[in-house]
Amino acid sequence: MTRWGKWRENSLFLLPSVALTLALGIYPLAWVLRYMFYEYAGYGQETFIGLDNFERLWRDDDFWASVRNTFVFAGGKLLLTIPVSLLLAVILNGKLRGKHVLRAVFFMPTVISTAVIAVVFYIIFNSYNGMINQLLLTNGAIAEPIAWLGPKFAMLTVIIVAAWGAIGNYMLLFLAGLQSIPHDLYESASIDGAGPARRFWSITVPMLGPVMQIIIMLAIIASLKGYESIMVMTEGGPIGKTEVMYLYLYKLLFPIAGSGTPVDQQFGYGSAVGFATALIVGVITAAYYYMSRKMNKVY
Amino acid sequence: MREHTLKGGRSATRLPVIAGKVIVWLFLAAVAVVTVFPILMTVTGSLMTNAELLGGGNILPKSWQFGNYADAWRQSNFARFTWNSVFLSVMATVGTLLVAAMAAYVVDRRSFPGKSLYIGLQASTMFISMGAIVLRPQFDLMVKLGLNTSLWGVILILMSAHASTFFILLSFLKAIPREIDESAMMDGASFTRSFYRIILPLLAPGLGVSGLFAFRHAWNEYILPLVFTMTNPKLQTLTVGLANLRYGSSAAMQTNLMMAGACLSIVPMLIVYVLANRTFMQVTAGSIKG
Repeated sequence: MTRWGKWRENSLFLLPSVALTLALGIYPLAWVLRYMFYEYAGYGQETFIGLDNFERLWRDDDFWASVRNTFVFAGGKLLLTIPVSLLLAVILNGKLRGKHVLRAVFFMPTVISTAVIAVVFYIIFNSYNGMINQLLLTNGAIAEPIAWLGPKFAMLTVIIVAAWGAIGNYMLLFLAGLQSIPHDLYESASIDGAGPARRFWSITVPMLGPVMQIIIMLAIIASLKGYESIMVMTEGGPIGKTEVMYLYLYKLLFPIAGSGTPVDQQFGYGSAVGFATALIVGVITAAYYYMSRKMNKVY
Repeated sequence: MREHTLKGGRSATRLPVIAGKVIVWLFLAAVAVVTVFPILMTVTGSLMTNAELLGGGNILPKSWQFGNYADAWRQSNFARFTWNSVFLSVMATVGTLLVAAMAAYVVDRRSFPGKSLYIGLQASTMFISMGAIVLRPQFDLMVKLGLNTSLWGVILILMSAHASTFFILLSFLKAIPREIDESAMMDGASFTRSFYRIILPLLAPGLGVSGLFAFRHAWNEYILPLVFTMTNPKLQTLTVGLANLRYGSSAAMQTNLMMAGACLSIVPMLIVYVLANRTFMQVTAGSIKG
C-alpha cells in the first residue's frame, strides 16, 4: 500500500475521535480562557475588560461563601467516606463468610443515578412527612420533626447523601490495594505474635500507602467537584447554606428560575469563576500530593 | 515467657475475640442497612398509596398498588422519559464504542506521526474533566449546529468523553494477535474490512465491558440532559423528568408515583448489576492498579 493510502486510512479512523475531542474538549477550554477577560451576556456586545472580572471575583462574597461551603462539604464527605470505606475493605479482605455478597451490596449505590437517588433522599428527608422523621417520631427519639433540609441541617444531610453514593466505590479501590499486599507478610507477623491491630498499623497502613495516596487524591477531587445531588436536594439553599463552587458557577452560566441566589447569565464573569474554580481544585490537589508524598515511600 | 501465660493467654483472649467479631458484624449490618434502606424504600414505596407512603411505619405495602406504574407511565409522562433515556443511552454507548474502537485500532496497529501526541491528548482529557466549566461553550456550539432541538447534542457531548473507553479497548486490542488481521489483509481484505469483520468481533469482550460503563454513565447523566431540555420538555430523560416532579403543581407531591419513576431508572441498572457485578467491580478496581 502506498504511504498516501495508509495516511488516508489512519486519518479516517482517527477523525471522529479527534474532531470530537477538538470541538467539545479543546475549543470550550479556549472559549473559557478567552471570555474570562470579556464582559459578555451571551448575546449582543462583547467588551474586552482585562482583569475586571477577577477584581469583581475578589470582592464577590457569594463566591467566597461558596468556596467555604465547598470545603465544609468536601471535608465532611471525606471524613465520612474514607474511614468507613477503608474499614469495610479491611474487614471484607479477611476471611469472612458472605464477603462476596457484602461487597456486591456495598458497591450497589455506584450503579444508581446520583440525581435519582437524590430525589429519593429528598423525599426520605422531607421534614413535614419524610420517612426519617416518621421513624424517629414513632420511636420517640425526637419530639418534633427535624428540618433536615433547613438551614441548620441541610449541609449535614447533603454530606450524608454524597457519602452514601461514594463509600462503595472507595471500598472497592481500597480492596484492590489490599489485595496487592503479599499474604506471607501477615503470616510471618502472626507467627511473631502480632495481633490484628498491630498487623493493621505495621503492615496494612504502610503497605497501602502509595495506593491510598492516589485513592484519597481521587476522593478529594471528586468531593470538590460534586454538586449534582446538592442541586437536586437543595439547589444550594436554604439561604445559600449548601451552595458549593460548581453550583454557583453553574447558576452563572445557566440561571435557574426562582432559585435561591438571583443571578442572570454572565458568560464573561462565569468564565472567570470557572477558571478560578478549576485553579482552586488544582492547587488543593497539588498541595495534597506534595504533603502526602511520604505515603509513597515504602521501606 | 512462662508456660502458663501462653495457655492462660488463649482462654483470656477468647472473650475479646468474640466481642470483636460482634462489633465487626454490627458495623457491617449497620452499613448494609443504611445502603439498602433508600433502595428498598424506593421499590416498596412505589407500590404503596401516597397516604401509606407518607404515613410511614410500613416497609412492605398493605396492598400492592401496581396501578402506580400505569399512572406514572401515562399521566406523568414516564413512557416518554423512558424512551428518551433508552434512545440517549443506546446511541451514546454505540457511538462512544465505535469512535473509541476505531481510534484504538489505528493507534495499536499502525504507527503515524503525532501518535504520542494523540495518546497524551486522550490521557489529559480523562484527568482534566472540566464538567460545568465547559458546559456553556459546548451547549452554544450545539445550538449553532442546530443539534439542541434533539438529544443528539447530548449524545455527541457524551461521545466526546471517550478517553477511558479508548484506553480499555486499547488494552484489549493488544491481546489480539496481529497475525490474525495481518493475514486477512494478505488475503486481500482492506484495512477497513478487517476492522469490521475481524477486529470488532474479536473485541467483543472489551466492547461489552467498556459498553457497560458508557451505558451506565449515559443512563445516569443528569446535568447535560437538564440543560438541553430546559426549553424542550418533550426530550426529558428519566433523571430530568423525575427531578422536575419536585415542583409538582399541586401542594401535595405524588410521592408514590415519584418512587415508581425512580424505580424505572434504578431497577434496569440493578438487574444489569446483578448479572454483571463481577465486571463492574473488576474494571473499577482495575482503574487504580493502572
